[in-house]
Amino acid sequence: MTKKGTMITDISVMIAGQAGDGVLFTGNVLAKILKRQGWEISTYRDFPSNIRGEPTNYTIRASLEKIYGRGDEIDVFLAFDCEAIIKHAKSMAEGGILLCDGEDLVQLPPSRRKVRIYHKFPLRKLARDNFGKEIFKNMIALGALGYILDLDFHVIEQIISEAFLKRKGVEIVQKNIRAIHLGCEQAKEIVVPEERRSLVRRKDSDRLFLSGDEAIAFGALAAGCRFFAAYPICPATEIWQWLAVYLPQFNGLVVQTEDELAALNMALGASYAGARAMTSTSGPGASLMMESFSLSGMAEIPIVVAHVQRVGPSTGIPTKTEQGDLNQWVYGSHGDFPRIVLSPGTVEECFEFTTKAFNLAEKYQCPVILLTEEDYGLNFRSVKKFDLSKVKIERGKLLTQEELISVKNFKRYELTSDGISPRALPGMKNGLHMVESSEHDEKGYRDEEPENRIRMMQKRMKKLKSASKDMIPPKIWGERNAEIGIIGFGSTFGPIQEAITQLKEKGIRARYLQMRTLWPFPSKKVEEFVTTCKEIFVVENNFSGQLSSLIKSQVRLPFEVMNILKYSSHAFRPHEISTQIQKAL
Amino acid sequence: MRKDKNYHLSDPTWCQGCGIYGIFSALKKAAVALNLDPEQSVVVTGIGCHGRLNNYFRSYGFHALHGRALPVASGVKLSNPRLSVVGISGDGDAYSIGLGHFIHSIRRNINITYIVVDNRIYALTQGQTSPTSHTGFVSVSTPYGSKELNLNGPRLALASGGTFVARGFSGDPSQLATLIEKGMKHEGFALIEVLSPCVIHNKVNTYQWFRKNIYNLDEDSSYNPRNKMYAWEKLSRGKKIPVGLIYVEKRPSYEDLVFGRGAEPLVFNDLRVDVPRLEKIMEKFK
Repeated sequence: MTKKGTMITDISVMIAGQAGDGVLFTGNVLAKILKRQGWEISTYRDFPSNIRGEPTNYTIRASLEKIYGRGDEIDVFLAFDCEAIIKHAKSMAEGGILLCDGEDLVQLPPSRRKVRIYHKFPLRKLARDNFGKEIFKNMIALGALGYILDLDFHVIEQIISEAFLKRKGVEIVQKNIRAIHLGCEQAKEIVVPEERRSLVRRKDSDRLFLSGDEAIAFGALAAGCRFFAAYPICPATEIWQWLAVYLPQFNGLVVQTEDELAALNMALGASYAGARAMTSTSGPGASLMMESFSLSGMAEIPIVVAHVQRVGPSTGIPTKTEQGDLNQWVYGSHGDFPRIVLSPGTVEECFEFTTKAFNLAEKYQCPVILLTEEDYGLNFRSVKKFDLSKVKIERGKLLTQEELISVKNFKRYELTSDGISPRALPGMKNGLHMVESSEHDEKGYRDEEPENRIRMMQKRMKKLKSASKDMIPPKIWGERNAEIGIIGFGSTFGPIQEAITQLKEKGIRARYLQMRTLWPFPSKKVEEFVTTCKEIFVVENNFSGQLSSLIKSQVRLPFEVMNILKYSSHAFRPHEISTQIQKAL
Repeated sequence: MRKDKNYHLSDPTWCQGCGIYGIFSALKKAAVALNLDPEQSVVVTGIGCHGRLNNYFRSYGFHALHGRALPVASGVKLSNPRLSVVGISGDGDAYSIGLGHFIHSIRRNINITYIVVDNRIYALTQGQTSPTSHTGFVSVSTPYGSKELNLNGPRLALASGGTFVARGFSGDPSQLATLIEKGMKHEGFALIEVLSPCVIHNKVNTYQWFRKNIYNLDEDSSYNPRNKMYAWEKLSRGKKIPVGLIYVEKRPSYEDLVFGRGAEPLVFNDLRVDVPRLEKIMEKFK
């Protein structure tokens, strides 16, 4: 928790229980309330890959400043059972408040004795006694948090009504609201006024509250994606589920395929026929897609693949976060072919990069990967409304029927100065051609002659040579001219920014290069950054330092870079980065 | 009216005597009968000897990865249902590496005509046992004889909810042309398996062998291809192999169910950013 004078400016609330307890729902409602009260929100889900049982928790961080990830500590902790306390008490801030519906007394480690514990906040019992059902414990809990955080009960009622009115009717809404008020009254008896964490109320400016997956889905819709094929997989399915509702309303189609092999191939078929097409996946699904990843490179079919990374290898940990699949898309599949790998770092960039991905895919007629992570893929952030006026649809060298009619001897893979050939679609007059997965000539027919092979390889590989003007460049943040440099991609964006602030408080000045395109590698920009720093730390959520290796292979480094790695299946906390940098200096 | 030469792009270079010549001529014959517009037609092939067909047949063509002809063909058809889409695979492509797609494409009943060239061997890779090779089949990959039961494609199609299941013989291109024509007219997924000798690698399932072992259902006036149980029985009983139209039923195609009949194909969508409409959707994230 941070304060400005007596005013709280940053706070984290954790709700924990067992999967199936309603932790996610309760957390989402709380997050929405705080967002409506004008706070910036970043949520963090920690849940097992099953439906019921096993511990789960949800952290809602609210700040008066823009935030991009979870913070360092938990200030208010509501636990539906004691198991949660044992697991997470170590993450609690000094003087934090803890409410627990447990029966047993939990001994906290001596270092955390200052944590206030309020045992036996009997959520379940209150729910049973007053409403006949344990499920009302969630709303009682929300009411208690409402009291502690001094929330606007008018807003709470509004959000509960939005959540239940349509689905369950007015009676259920009123019952839930009664439960909330009961929770508030009960909390008053336990929590003394000085212990409350009153949060200011501000006007909710024109902001959204959504996940990275949803931002990608909305971006795809805005960018004219009309064909989406996928196979269910955590944590990417949310992209599909959102599109499954909206694409049909735009005359588009979402197909659930038998596997990821079919998903990417079907999307490629649709793209070849002229649709803006996309698929989404994660870990093992991406491995299956590796097969046809190179087909899109070879046959020069535009495609967008959203890969929301989870923990690997193998089945790994499906619902948790990691950055272990950079190598997969930068180096993956057989043979050499052009590819573009984008790395959004925020929910805002998920939207922006998706709208750009479709243009890049069609302009360069190659696969474009949106590499994101469970961390901001499934979690919610408050963001400014997206600027739709910035969305442009550029279809590259796709010929219109009028243009194609006047072409003499159309060649789908014509050798051109930039390597990009004109594109016709099946069904068009005067455009008959072949799309070949095998090596082919300019007309698309199989050709294994060495001269042709060399020509066509050079043609394809040339396409991205002159593409740097269209690529999303790295962005530099932090202290100007600082000698400590940090490089990262994806979800480390938030923690690194906060780590820089923490370092500044300790008198250490640092700046940060946010990689936003991983391939083609922005060598010049990275080299400029590296050579003007004295120390470089590469921060990554993986074991081997995949970005670090990529940098080493693409940039001549004047000194050794240091890796700050985390592979616990969780996102970085800011202090984990700042303390490691401090130690290394 | 278009003629054979309208579909003949170049002379094939398949091995002399290969069964696929019969399929090539039957496909052209069916195209003539349907007066198919080459520019409105897409032939998607997989990997195997059949995959060369795109080089000889005049239409839009897509030579997909091994086993993936059907998902590609499905993506094409669903994006633009006005196109006539033909998928072609070998027995390895359709029944081994692409088997998952085979079953699910049939289940979806997308309006695609799927020709499976069954030579009962992997020919392009020099003669390994295939899923349709009979038990005991000796080849370079099973020198001591195959221990696996051979797969019956049409029966699997029937079990998967196929709405058009046929089998032809490349030694009888005119019956095959009729089956392809019917299959293309059928509004749904049409499977036409074609028994097709490989004269180089398969010395067992020769023209002669097939002639001896097949019988023609189309000549049996008592056979009703609309009865699923009859079809199942024909495909299951006896050693002889039925050819002809085995089963047909009417069921709405996938694209008719999702788009409605005659709907504007999604590839013709106006993609301009509809700001007011998208703004409205964005409100839901508040």
